[in-house]
Amino acid sequence: MHEQDSDEMISMLSRLAWRSVGRNKRRTIITVLSIALGLTFALFFITLAEGAYYQMIRDSVRMQAGHITLEQKDYRDAPAVDLYIKNPGELRNRIEALPDVEETKLLILGQGVARSGNGAVGVAVMGIEPSVEAGSSPLAKKIIKGEFLADTDDNLVIIGSSLASRLKLDLEKKLVLTTSDANGDLVDELCRVKGIFQTGSDEVDGFLVQLPINFARKLFTMPEGSATQLGVILKNQGKLNSVLKKIRGMLNDKDIVALPWREVMPELAAYITLDRTSNYIFQIILITLILFTIFNTILMSVLERRREFAILLAIGTPPGQLQLQVLFETIIFGIIGVGLGLLLGGAIAYYFRVHGLDISAFLKEGVTVSGFAMDTKMHARITAPIMLWSALIVFFATLLLSIFPMRRAARTPFADILR
Amino acid sequence: MAAILEINDVSKDYGQGDVIVHALQHINISLIPGDFVAMAGPSGSGKSTLLNIIGGMLKPTNGNVVIDGKDVTRMSNAALSRLRRDRIGFVFQNYSLIPVLTALENAEYVLMLQGLQTSKRREKVLAILHEVGLDGLENRFPRELSGGQQQRVAIARAIASEPALVLADEPTANVDSTTGGALMDLMRMLNEQKGITFLFATHEKDVMLRAKRLIILKDGCIVHDGKPGETIDAA
Repeated sequence: MHEQDSDEMISMLSRLAWRSVGRNKRRTIITVLSIALGLTFALFFITLAEGAYYQMIRDSVRMQAGHITLEQKDYRDAPAVDLYIKNPGELRNRIEALPDVEETKLLILGQGVARSGNGAVGVAVMGIEPSVEAGSSPLAKKIIKGEFLADTDDNLVIIGSSLASRLKLDLEKKLVLTTSDANGDLVDELCRVKGIFQTGSDEVDGFLVQLPINFARKLFTMPEGSATQLGVILKNQGKLNSVLKKIRGMLNDKDIVALPWREVMPELAAYITLDRTSNYIFQIILITLILFTIFNTILMSVLERRREFAILLAIGTPPGQLQLQVLFETIIFGIIGVGLGLLLGGAIAYYFRVHGLDISAFLKEGVTVSGFAMDTKMHARITAPIMLWSALIVFFATLLLSIFPMRRAARTPFADILR
Repeated sequence: MAAILEINDVSKDYGQGDVIVHALQHINISLIPGDFVAMAGPSGSGKSTLLNIIGGMLKPTNGNVVIDGKDVTRMSNAALSRLRRDRIGFVFQNYSLIPVLTALENAEYVLMLQGLQTSKRREKVLAILHEVGLDGLENRFPRELSGGQQQRVAIARAIASEPALVLADEPTANVDSTTGGALMDLMRMLNEQKGITFLFATHEKDVMLRAKRLIILKDGCIVHDGKPGETIDAA
């Protein structure tokens, strides 16, 4: 067939399909709305879930050691303060010069025992740069008593509300931190409570003590400028792999490794993977139910027109062309339905992106994942890939559904029908 | 003159085992170009079955059908589809138009399948619609046309591709007698002026009388084949 003939054919098929779609308005509305609602539901759940994961990762990496963590290569296997980076300053400057890097932060992570006159509790000791953390760490926003740390603070700490309660501590009260220093010696430091935070996570509120990094270096007998971790916060989580590659290229010291947050916080990564998988399964079930409705209406539209198809076949229409006509009709349903779904779903997702969805009424106890308290106000996250992939999946699933009706149309027993 | 249609010893059985219906038995018919043949008989006599076999829509149990020298019964489905598109025109009882296409689009549909250029196609179809008396109704949809007008569009579609043979299954069955008569006059006119060969099934005596030749079927067998005046009472 010549190109012009095929253009003519496509034009005629499009006309047939378009007018057939418009002929039974009720069926068309049901089909289009089914597709649109399917996509709307999918977008609602996916954008909310992705928003929650994004928030979780964002808060976790800001509170911990960044999207990318640089540390001694043996630190993960046996975390100890003697495995520190001696002079991270120059490397830090080079990393901060990368365009996708928002900021970097130094951390000293150690273990110890916090004691007061009322008891002792094993704690995680985290030395931080208060001026860096104040602007970005979620902990800085969770202070319920007193103040967050300052760079110049000496022998001042902030502790969680549960720990304060257990040790019966309050602002300005004294506690003693006992730990092993970088040389392996047992050391004690007397400090005072500057602030009390409450995140909702018992692991954080009951067992974390934060202190300025200079005080931590003094506590653990570490050299000036050193840190157990150099954390890198990215402007965009999606750039993780490319920035990680660049940073790994900068490393001259073979004892230092750069790890993505997934390896530093494997429990959080596993939770997100598991939750995302169950969310996708739910989406598949939901969309399958909706697709069943769509399949029904497309099949009905073919069965209702058996006589029409019989005539078309009888006068010499190739069966493949009838299949194309049904496919064109489905494409029209798909384009309108997906377009409407993107508008509806996008609008709803945008609303919850701006205003958030407060689920605290359903989760009175709050939710903690790997020690991180989830924000009970979920903000949807709309990204081009989410919108595009959801739309494409629904669109192509709809097209797949037309295969059986297409075959039915092409195999119309025209001699029996026309008898 | 070479036959345009040859039906050689065609039989068609339906059913299996003990319940076999002999819809057609040893049918032999030959049509030459320009024939205008009515096929009559009571319901169940095998008229529609024979038309469907000629049109390649049904396979006979025995025998063969040759159109333009080609054995229809041995053709693949694709070849049959092309044969129906290029060499056979069909007129069905009613509702035989595509409801979402206008009269013009319905009539030109087969030409479009053949790949004829739009301008030539339009010119040809407008002339045919004029011939069948549908001037001014080209852009109406089937629902906007009367039964008789719809059948005229169906006839226009059937003859647009200049087929070797037009098969019409009870073309006047669902229109009143005046309209039916007019449709028969139209087909006869097309037969005489353009030499188009028509074979149509009917059970109406008025229609039979307008044919040049009348074949009467009964219980799947030809009981008479001759001029209408000679055989009309047998129908």
